[in-house]
Amino acid sequence: MSILTEREKRSKAPLSPWKNKNPNRKVKKAKVIPGVASLNGRWGYLYVAPFVTMFLIFGLAPVIYSVFISFYHWDPLGGSTFNGINNFITLVHDSDFWLAIRNTFSIWALSTFPQMVMAIGLAAILRNSRLKGKSFWRTIFLVPNITSVIAITIVFGQLFGRDFGIINDIIGMFGLHHIDFIENVFAAHVQIATMITWRWIGYNTLIFLASMLAIPEELYESASVDGATKWQQFRFVTLPSLKNTITFVLIVGTIGGLQVFAEPQQLASDGGSSHQFLTLTLFLYNQAFVNNKYGYAAAIGIMITFIVLIISLINFLVTRKLANDGTR
Amino acid sequence: MASKWKMRSAIAITAAAAIGMGVFTAPAKAAADPVTITIWTFGDVIQRKLIQEYKVLHPEVTLQIKKSDLDPLDGTNMVTACTAKTGPDIVAVEVSYSGYWRSYPKCFQDLRQMTTSDANASAAGGIPAGQNADALKSNYLSWRWAQGVAFDGSVIGIPTDVGGLEVAYRTDLFKKAGLPTNRDAVSKLWPTWEAFIATGQKYLKSLKPAEVKAGKSFLDNAGTIYAAIMNQGTAKYYANDGTENGKLIYDTNPQVKLAWNTTIKATTAGVGSRIGQYTSDWNIGMSKGTFATILAPAWMMDYIKAQAPDTAGKWDIAHLPVSGGNQGGTQLTIPSYAKNKQAAYDFITWYLAPAQELEVFKTYGLFPAASVLYKDPALLNFTDPFFSNAPVGQIYADGVSKLKPIFEGKLQRAIDTAIGAGLGRVAAKKMTADKSWAQVLSDLKKVVNN
Repeated sequence: MSILTEREKRSKAPLSPWKNKNPNRKVKKAKVIPGVASLNGRWGYLYVAPFVTMFLIFGLAPVIYSVFISFYHWDPLGGSTFNGINNFITLVHDSDFWLAIRNTFSIWALSTFPQMVMAIGLAAILRNSRLKGKSFWRTIFLVPNITSVIAITIVFGQLFGRDFGIINDIIGMFGLHHIDFIENVFAAHVQIATMITWRWIGYNTLIFLASMLAIPEELYESASVDGATKWQQFRFVTLPSLKNTITFVLIVGTIGGLQVFAEPQQLASDGGSSHQFLTLTLFLYNQAFVNNKYGYAAAIGIMITFIVLIISLINFLVTRKLANDGTR
Repeated sequence: MASKWKMRSAIAITAAAAIGMGVFTAPAKAAADPVTITIWTFGDVIQRKLIQEYKVLHPEVTLQIKKSDLDPLDGTNMVTACTAKTGPDIVAVEVSYSGYWRSYPKCFQDLRQMTTSDANASAAGGIPAGQNADALKSNYLSWRWAQGVAFDGSVIGIPTDVGGLEVAYRTDLFKKAGLPTNRDAVSKLWPTWEAFIATGQKYLKSLKPAEVKAGKSFLDNAGTIYAAIMNQGTAKYYANDGTENGKLIYDTNPQVKLAWNTTIKATTAGVGSRIGQYTSDWNIGMSKGTFATILAPAWMMDYIKAQAPDTAGKWDIAHLPVSGGNQGGTQLTIPSYAKNKQAAYDFITWYLAPAQELEVFKTYGLFPAASVLYKDPALLNFTDPFFSNAPVGQIYADGVSKLKPIFEGKLQRAIDTAIGAGLGRVAAKKMTADKSWAQVLSDLKKVVNN
């Protein structure tokens, strides 16, 4: 929590991984240590060696191995045969794959954008200097994040139940038809998106809050001298300063959104009777561990990687544009 | 829940202490070296109370238990273990996975080649030394035993419990609908599945239109009929042709079409409430009387008691139409790369001996697969006040004795899933039955063609 209070430091280190915005900042020359000067550069390799070794063994090797597997009919326990690019050809023609992409992005959009609006709003409330019990609120916002997904699905199952769920009880009071939050495609996506939002909104709120606290107070002061209302201050001071944070949250949210697995898996392990909430990772899991098509599942994994790469590239271009705009 | 748990553990400690006293009087044979048996399991397959008993019997044995919760058997772990030629000493395999593992006997120790040591000879219910799996076979239900036999005949697992499947029904709701309430008379209502559906329609007619509109119905979920009928046959999706892949017969086996058509008939007749099992709607519906019947395996009785405690005495158990049924059950297996095979085999043979299976049934309601117990008065006279004092021991024993062995194959779980989704589409009125079946076939083509 100390990060949040050290406002001064935060303002010098904005939440932007991209570039040093201040071209005038002097880079200190490294101190030469007498005696080991000649080794200066090489010591670095030793320091990063533990991470690099671990990454190569547990990070990169499995990735390369799964690329290899994706060209095979792979049976880890029996015989495997080379299959060329047939896994990929089948995949592109598999309607379930496209359905999974649709579902994944639909759930992603439903969980990311409303969540971001709410998180910024909550952060603005938490930023208010007159708010009592700040640490309490900041802590309690993280509780959903550390709750197990299984527990969340059980509780939300009681909210979204078709016959006796609380939400449908309320809908029923208005004389409307109950909504089937499993079979109805859009309603099912809303249910899953709600669970994701519930789990991540506190985390994102804190990120926005940290970024808001880094905005210099003077900007607000001069804005209020100019007669800006609270809303105008928010709109023209706070929001523009959050640009980089919004990008960061969007990237992290996208990567998370492409990995949505446990929530739909808990609703129905096959992704619903017409695969209405089959997500990409659930599709991958089921191909590998229900249908025993490991090679096919590896091919799906590679396609997911490509999708992430494309999105990251778009993000990168957008962010660079934003960053350039900022320096102008 | 907390108080129930406390009570259970209190009983367990008392029982363990009592057994402990008995054992200390009998001199232990050959002071054994300390050994740690690692077990991968799920749910309540390995029961706390019996672990404590075994600790008293064998102070030198440490049982290290790892439970998984994503799936009955966290399938990925066992595949990894077998590929890496390593693994725990014992793995609990749920029957829905048995089809898969029966195709890979190389991952398991053939239990015909193991023999019991004299470790448990002096234990209560004594297990004599020198018994291999073949010698134990006659203790168990033949079709449950077959679920632990690989395609090449090697014995890879010994059955723990058997689910069984009978009809749990609400006597008060039956009475209101003008149906008989006596369990023998109720069983006579439905000698066939058609008669079962007809009874459901009769029940529906007795309901007020508003009740039907509110979702009330006869059975909790008509989709459950499918698996019940499949288990009453002699074959499912595979025929054993002696290869690890087996021969696929899902599109030619008349039992599949019979089960599908009957389930569709029940669905379109509206005799199921369309509530998914194990959802919160199901739990609430159980106590609210949304449905009058459930096709219930023996282990579900404890679930009903926990979810709908205020319906105590309003339930009873009648027979399933046509013959018996099954849902669930588990095998204990020894992976081929286990380190302490002898100690593991001694534990399994003790844990799954009829005496212990009876104890598990009485304490936890898991119905024993050890069929020698089906003549035991302790089981036959077991009644349950929650279910109107129905002789549940006898009813489930009758039911499971009627089933025949079925050959299971690699993709059985995948095929079950695809057909289940097809039935779900019809129930949700997303597709007609014919269209949905056509999609099942095309989905299965994708599953089967690697």
